[in-house]
Amino acid sequence: MKRQKLLWLSLFSLFSMSIWAQSRTITGTVVNSDDNTSMPGVTVVNVAKNTGTVTDINGKYSIKVDGPEAKLSFRFIGFSTVNKTVGADNIVNVSMGTDALNLSEVVVTGQGVGIDKKRIATTVSTITSEELKTMPATQLDQLIQSKLPNAQIKLSSGQPGTASIIRSRGPVSAITNTTPVIFIDGIRVDNLNSNPSLGIATGGAQSSAIADIPMEDIDRIEYIPGGAATTLYGADAANGVLQIFTKRGKAGNNDVNFEIQTGAITGTADYLKYEETKDLYFNTGLMQNYRLGFTGGDAKTNYSFSGNIYQDDSFNDINSTIRRNLRTSLSSQITERLRYSTSFALSNLEFTRDYNANTSFARFGTLESGGYGDLSTMSNSTLDSLKDNLTVQGENTDITENVTRFNFSNNFKYKITDNLAASVDIGIDSRNSVQREGFSNALQVSKGAAAPGTTDQGSITVSERNFNVISGNFNLQHNYEKDDFSFITTVGGQFFKENDVQRRIVANSVVDGSVSINNSSSQQATDFFRVVTSTGIIVAENVGFRDKLFLDLGLRFDGNSAFGDEIGLIALPKIGVAYVLSDAPFFADNVNRDLISAVKLRANFGQSSIFPRPFANDLTFSGPSYLGELSFAFNNPGNPELTSEIATTYEAGADISVFKSKINLGFTYYNTRTEGALFTPPANPSSGQNSQLRNVGVIANNGLELSANANLIKSSKHELTFGVSYNYNQNVVESTGGAPEFGVGGFAFLGSFVKAGQPLGYLRGNRTTVDGDGNPVVENLAVLGSTFSPNFGSFNLNYTFNKKLSFFVNGDYQWGGSGVAVDDVLRYFNGLNDEGRIPDELASESFFDLASYWVEDTKYLKIRNISANYKLGNVYGFKNATIGFSVLNAFNFVSASFDPDVAGAGISAQSGFAGGGFGFGTESAPRMFIGSIKFSL
Amino acid sequence: MKNKIIISFLALGLWACETIDPFEVVNPNLSSESIIGQANSSKTWLKGTERQTAIALNGVLTISEIASDNYENTNTFFNQFLDKLDIRSVDPSMNIAFRGLSRLRETAKFGLDQIGPNDPTYDDASKSDFHFYLGLSYMMTGEYFDATPIVEAGPAVSSADQMQLAIDNFTEAINANPSNLKAVAGRARANYNAGNQVAAVADANTVLNTDPNFLFTISFDPVNTSASNDGLAYTKNELQLALQERGSFDDLQPLPRLDFADPKMAIINASTDSDVPVLKAEEMLLILAEANSASGLDPLAQQNLRDCRILALSRTQGILNESTEGRTQKQPGSRPDTAAVVVDGRSGLVLNRDENTIISVISTTSVTDAMISAAVGDNLLEMIYLMRQEIFIAEGRRIIDMGVTFVMHDNELLQNPNLTAAAGMPNTPPFIAAVADQLDAFTYDPVALTATTTVNVNALIVANKATDFVCPFH
Repeated sequence: MKRQKLLWLSLFSLFSMSIWAQSRTITGTVVNSDDNTSMPGVTVVNVAKNTGTVTDINGKYSIKVDGPEAKLSFRFIGFSTVNKTVGADNIVNVSMGTDALNLSEVVVTGQGVGIDKKRIATTVSTITSEELKTMPATQLDQLIQSKLPNAQIKLSSGQPGTASIIRSRGPVSAITNTTPVIFIDGIRVDNLNSNPSLGIATGGAQSSAIADIPMEDIDRIEYIPGGAATTLYGADAANGVLQIFTKRGKAGNNDVNFEIQTGAITGTADYLKYEETKDLYFNTGLMQNYRLGFTGGDAKTNYSFSGNIYQDDSFNDINSTIRRNLRTSLSSQITERLRYSTSFALSNLEFTRDYNANTSFARFGTLESGGYGDLSTMSNSTLDSLKDNLTVQGENTDITENVTRFNFSNNFKYKITDNLAASVDIGIDSRNSVQREGFSNALQVSKGAAAPGTTDQGSITVSERNFNVISGNFNLQHNYEKDDFSFITTVGGQFFKENDVQRRIVANSVVDGSVSINNSSSQQATDFFRVVTSTGIIVAENVGFRDKLFLDLGLRFDGNSAFGDEIGLIALPKIGVAYVLSDAPFFADNVNRDLISAVKLRANFGQSSIFPRPFANDLTFSGPSYLGELSFAFNNPGNPELTSEIATTYEAGADISVFKSKINLGFTYYNTRTEGALFTPPANPSSGQNSQLRNVGVIANNGLELSANANLIKSSKHELTFGVSYNYNQNVVESTGGAPEFGVGGFAFLGSFVKAGQPLGYLRGNRTTVDGDGNPVVENLAVLGSTFSPNFGSFNLNYTFNKKLSFFVNGDYQWGGSGVAVDDVLRYFNGLNDEGRIPDELASESFFDLASYWVEDTKYLKIRNISANYKLGNVYGFKNATIGFSVLNAFNFVSASFDPDVAGAGISAQSGFAGGGFGFGTESAPRMFIGSIKFSL
Repeated sequence: MKNKIIISFLALGLWACETIDPFEVVNPNLSSESIIGQANSSKTWLKGTERQTAIALNGVLTISEIASDNYENTNTFFNQFLDKLDIRSVDPSMNIAFRGLSRLRETAKFGLDQIGPNDPTYDDASKSDFHFYLGLSYMMTGEYFDATPIVEAGPAVSSADQMQLAIDNFTEAINANPSNLKAVAGRARANYNAGNQVAAVADANTVLNTDPNFLFTISFDPVNTSASNDGLAYTKNELQLALQERGSFDDLQPLPRLDFADPKMAIINASTDSDVPVLKAEEMLLILAEANSASGLDPLAQQNLRDCRILALSRTQGILNESTEGRTQKQPGSRPDTAAVVVDGRSGLVLNRDENTIISVISTTSVTDAMISAAVGDNLLEMIYLMRQEIFIAEGRRIIDMGVTFVMHDNELLQNPNLTAAAGMPNTPPFIAAVADQLDAFTYDPVALTATTTVNVNALIVANKATDFVCPFH
């Protein structure tokens, strides 16, 4: 412990030098090498001092440099970076050419400090602010849906504030879901994508911290899907890292921006069993969204502010959402060498929710599962009285959640010498969520769960979670060039400390109308703590040879408070090679550049980890309350050898640009093997002990990631681009260390299980067939499919006319997976199951033996977003006015009787494994029709 | 000067690190040191042992009622296999049942071996109770299983040997605290199970002479419970949920001739569940009756039954408002639901379900004095088993009377080298297996309002009284 602190200190104490020299001003013009037109907005950086400016509307710039020699770097997205060494001349004009593979793009994620994409051997997906503009979205996972070529995002419910399944390279772990770790401006934020441990279930709706990540002013999102790219993050980064960078103001660009959105929200009727449900339950609502932003600055300091208020009243009579977001960021050149940037965001989310899925109180679920009978044969008067009853139920439903969250990031960049720079990030994400469920007598009477006149069954449950994560990282980056070689050396450290404190209070026999828990016969309280710290020390070396062959090496030492006593630091190495083949002389000599414009080859090896649940290593007892008295019980048996599971990835791929850079192709093959996978194999029942988390499993993921982007038309009037991706993931549990199989979700008779030779969370249940003599033959515990579709991808199409009118469509697809039509299992109980699902010969079999008949193929193709925007330009004194119209969740083409996205039931523990796959009385994400106006002053 | 600045800076840095100290974490869990050796820890551990008894009961009660002829599982997520006595080693219920009982054994042992001796306030009453619960775990394990390990992954110990371990521990309990009447009642039952007629009668008489209304129940806690039945922390009364409290799902349905005794457990309020009787004076009288019957002393047995009937009918009753729930069923009209129905030639066995259903929460019986007086020989033995069925309904005892046992689950079979696959195979009495899918069967004429039970399981038990499966005194 002490040694780690000292190391930190020695790293911190490395700031302390500065050099002074005489200065002069360089000016010039930047043009596009294709057509010699001027290029506004190009970033010009004085490399020595890390100071910068931006070219004006005519492509002109002016920058101060010191001394007789200076290095300037010219950067613009989509163009190759130009580095110029300035001599005696004070005028420097530059011509920039397009960068087919974005090799000059600077990426930060996974590298410690920013580095050219060219130099790295792994893949990083980025979403730019331009791309983000095309889509109105209220939460982060919705925003990135269909936008990351190698990730699949499925929203698990149409109810507000709910969780999603975000996956890319398959599940690498059985103890956690596939959600990546998320950073905003270098600061780790709460990424809990499931109900908190003491959260209120309300029938399986999973609240998510992703839903209230402040989304104001996002400039760029970087995403790395796992593998070697995540090595330097260690800790729990094996599922990938998603990093958000917020906007910074630009010198001289003082702007005030407004945006107004308004629209309608309708329930998605595509998956309804009963058409009548639409009329009985859905209720078209309105949304409104207002945004105000300021941005600006001068040569030394810039700022950006954005605030937004969003409100909707959803697609039924009781859900509603209000969001309030603020973000302020400031960046200042404090001294010639020290730059400080900070960003502060506050978000507040309030919403009301209905019961859904796994409770008989769910109105939607009960309608669709036949709980009210066969709606299709009901008379109008019966339907009317049912609707009246549902209205009363809705009026008495009282589930609310209120989240207040802030995050605060600070970055210090210090240029120690021309070749040595230090960067320090420190910040916090703090999130407080309060869920409340009022379960009044009136509600229970309206739902037929209590006799009319009942007055002593009312209860209130309040669940509060206070979470904060303090994180920091420190990097020193040294650049050095010698002959044909260039070296970028990074040394650094990271730490984070997560505090998760939850409390839940249940008040019994609460009098109807009481908001307070005080007006009750008794109250019970429970708490929950999960505190974990992680520290890492990283060393990385990126060696370039002739600016085309790069060797990328890294090593992280990872320490974690969740490790057992026997475990010290664990070492996670990475090694990669990148080669820009098209820059090689023989390529230029032998290959037609019009046909193949650029080729980059890459291969790498790396390890990353997922740490165990804190304290799962300890031998512990519990002291549960029993009948109002303290009792003791066995708890965790303990495991002093508990450590992180380690995912080792081998990966190889290529990026190729063809037909005069019109088409860019990406190809990656990966093989990830998680060893010492954290399983909780069932204890021998004869031990009478709890099952213990152990590093016994082996999980393998093999796959392909393909993407293609084409500039199909590029003329002065028309621009048409098309992008498509295809991903294949084969997941298999290679070993459970000899342990019997165990469930990770769903039901005992038909659930998600872990077994050697099968995908993680494969669907297991009994299958009964009829033999030649007409007798039923039962196959116990048959393999019924995998909830993760091995094939998935996304696509987008973007058309611009006259640089004014643009039209955008995106969507995604999957095939090869399976899911369970749980609603029909419930309809079976109500004697209303789908005709033909269960063979007549088996009608008298126990439904436990008929499990296989409820498993369905879940292939789909969904058009997530269609939008059109028109740039009006300057009108009525407003600048840059744009009007737009979007349809969200526009079309669904699905093979199953339920929505495969809305299949999140079965996450059994906080941030536990989530395979989805259980279609269960839950509304899909609603269809939204949104109009917007944007303008500046 | 520069050095001083650097040293100051370092010192400041070290101090700053303390303020954010990223290396210390709060552990909310209880370690061994917080429990072992602490004053009053034995009392608290004993409370935990009682709690584990509730959890262990949850592991066996519902599935036993479903497996027996008492209840049919028409339409619920509770165990579907056991309704047809389809006992499988892959059935998770087998794991939960055995795990709960094993955990009770380990909990009681830990109390005796670790907690008690290290607690400065440990007393004989607590020691006696630890022995009682250890005895109870052996006894119940021996009742529900033919043979099981009694240490982690150990060799199988037969039901008879576990019954002896139960008797030994009940004896230890009595030695430590002679007024521990539940240990005497437990030993009476263990001796009954073991076929030790003389010892069983002696213990039963001790109980009845000391407290003619003796009752030992286990209470459930629906508030501080895990969400599902796992054998580890589920303290809600699951059988209550299965019998009555099921929202829109249908409940377990009783055999029509037992309708009057259902539900023994029903909702009290959100924070209180019904108790489950574990040992009671009625059982002592039934042991005496069976012993007298086995010895050919029918008049004495009849008197035991008359006493038992009076006691059962004098027990606490409750009132349940069933107007919202009624007696709904998967196929309406397929089951008797009015008091006008005559079952097996007897009226009054089916109740009207309305606002004020009177329910018997401890014991009840439909048997009359006249029926007792008219029964002799095997008919009297059948009457004893009928009364056992009615009085023990919803206490998980019926399958034990039927000679049905559960099996080891795969989680044990795969991880215990001492067991063979045979431990996963059911050992159901052939005479029960022959009627396995008709145990809950009856015919019902909703027009004539008559119902007839298809199989008289009590008659089957008596017809096979000489086998090892049933009737321990025969």
